[in-house]
Amino acid sequence: MSDKVYSWLLRLYPSHFREAYGEEARQLFRDRARAEKGFLPAVRLWLDLLVDLAISVPREYRYGQPQVQAATRQPVEASPSFHVLEVEPPRFGALFLGALFSLVALYGISVLFSHPGEYRRDGASFPQRQTQVDARPSPSGPAVSHAATTAYKRMAASGQPVDARLRADASNPSDSQSKAPLPVGQTSSPQEQVSQLMPQSASRSMNRLAEEVKLDAAERQLVLNTVIKNLKEHYFDPEVARKATNELRGHQHDYDGVIEGGTFARLLTGLIREVSHDRHLEVVYSQSRLPAQPPTPTPEALARYQQRLQQENCTFEKVAILPHNVGYLKLNSFPEPSICRQTAMAAMAALNQAKAIIFDLRDNGGGFAPMVSFLAAYLFDHPEYLYDPRVSPTQQSWTRSPVPGNQLADKPVYVLTSTSTVSAAEQFCYDLKMLKRATFVGERTRGSAHAGIWYRIDDHFGMGIPETRPVNPFSKTDWEGTGVEPDVKVKAADALVTAEKLAERKMLRR
Amino acid sequence: MPKRKLDPLPSAAFQILLALADEDLHGYGIMRQVAEQTCNRMRLGPGTLYSSIQSLLAEKLIEEVGLGEDEKLGQERRRYYRLTSAGRKLARSEAERLADLLRVARVKKIFRGEYV
Repeated sequence: MSDKVYSWLLRLYPSHFREAYGEEARQLFRDRARAEKGFLPAVRLWLDLLVDLAISVPREYRYGQPQVQAATRQPVEASPSFHVLEVEPPRFGALFLGALFSLVALYGISVLFSHPGEYRRDGASFPQRQTQVDARPSPSGPAVSHAATTAYKRMAASGQPVDARLRADASNPSDSQSKAPLPVGQTSSPQEQVSQLMPQSASRSMNRLAEEVKLDAAERQLVLNTVIKNLKEHYFDPEVARKATNELRGHQHDYDGVIEGGTFARLLTGLIREVSHDRHLEVVYSQSRLPAQPPTPTPEALARYQQRLQQENCTFEKVAILPHNVGYLKLNSFPEPSICRQTAMAAMAALNQAKAIIFDLRDNGGGFAPMVSFLAAYLFDHPEYLYDPRVSPTQQSWTRSPVPGNQLADKPVYVLTSTSTVSAAEQFCYDLKMLKRATFVGERTRGSAHAGIWYRIDDHFGMGIPETRPVNPFSKTDWEGTGVEPDVKVKAADALVTAEKLAERKMLRR
Repeated sequence: MPKRKLDPLPSAAFQILLALADEDLHGYGIMRQVAEQTCNRMRLGPGTLYSSIQSLLAEKLIEEVGLGEDEKLGQERRRYYRLTSAGRKLARSEAERLADLLRVARVKKIFRGEYV
């Protein structure tokens, strides 16, 4: 038995050693085992053997194999010679491990290839967004670029009645509202949903055309200077702006030879964020030409927006009472309260008797912060401050709770989320989550807060600068880039069923 | 790959050379002899023993003298090793080196042995 164990241990030695001395080593072991009988001698024998193994095995591997030494010692002749240094074929175990490691490595590489977006997400969510917007057929291209630039304006001053969606709508009157689920990882605001509708081929040809635009030193310098100037003039924290300026100037030599606009924009964004740690500060490259001035909305466009909202019941897609008296509201945007107040009030009134309420925001592409407060007001019996990273607190940042006649203030709330839950919808989620007023079911939300104001630099470059930073009462970070995590993680498609079960269970417990 | 060095001579190798000074021995015999001459302080395990033998053979300090039987240990045939003249010379010079060390130790009053 012990002989077998020792034979097995001998396999730890390199093959040349085993071949030369394996049999003798076993013989020596047998001799010792025979001579040293009894418990204590046996223990000492095995202790000796293990110490010996620990010392001599590494040494055997470290020092040269005799064959190798012999080979180098052989006189070099004129004719080429060939030495087989390892005579033993690879063991089965070695082959198996080799195959396993190759598979793991291959799988790892393929995983890396299929998730390039994850790496870029942090630093470059906006450029992706920009490409999305650019990818439009030329007839309506400029209009959407307008929408892109004005989106920032809207985001910063959401009190304005003019929405980016409106302009996108205006430029595309024939588009029906897009409900196509957007790919994960792309930041989206309403106007991009429109751009989703463009044919793939057109997108490709636009990209090809745009690739030909190359940066030269003069443009790099111009962009850099303007970025610095804008930072100094507009960023809310002059000290950070000064630091960022130094950082940008300090890396001047890194910019040489950067000819791709997107790369340059990401480089600048990275440098600025390194010192500012502000995810809302961005330099953006647009492949297509940016318009000189954002257009002002026409009254017709306004009227069309209003008309369409009314046709679609202000995107209150479904208001229903589910079994067990659970109220259900499917809301696909947060529309401007000045147009949709009546609809919102009617919807909430219809749900007033419910024992629990489910907000379905899985297809909610965002909208206006005042509507967020308007709806959230029903969920509290006292005014609550709803944090919005985009604007300094106004009167509308507080909910107008208690709402007269409302009975929902103490009812359980469930919010269904998906990766298509964007922007203002995320504000709704974020604030309710921070106030611990709702249970979130579904997927992590998109993660776009857009808290900057847009500044055009030249035909292809622009930047977003937050001009204000309201104090976040809950934590240091908002949802930009990270989204709002659900409490109960399920696929978006299963969220409603899950939330219904949760609501039933909760009511049974009451 | 680095070549195994016998300079300075490892103590295991020196003990093997000393063990073979009187008579030819097989591996187990060497081990026993080494244990005996070190008052059981050094018990060479098979790995250390044969890797030392391997390098001593490579440097031609010992040689194989063929297979033989050891009546006390049964019918198995064992490989015997013998000290070469080069091995004897090296062992002597190593012993002299140690004697020198010992002399120094005594002068420095670190060691107070009665002999050598």
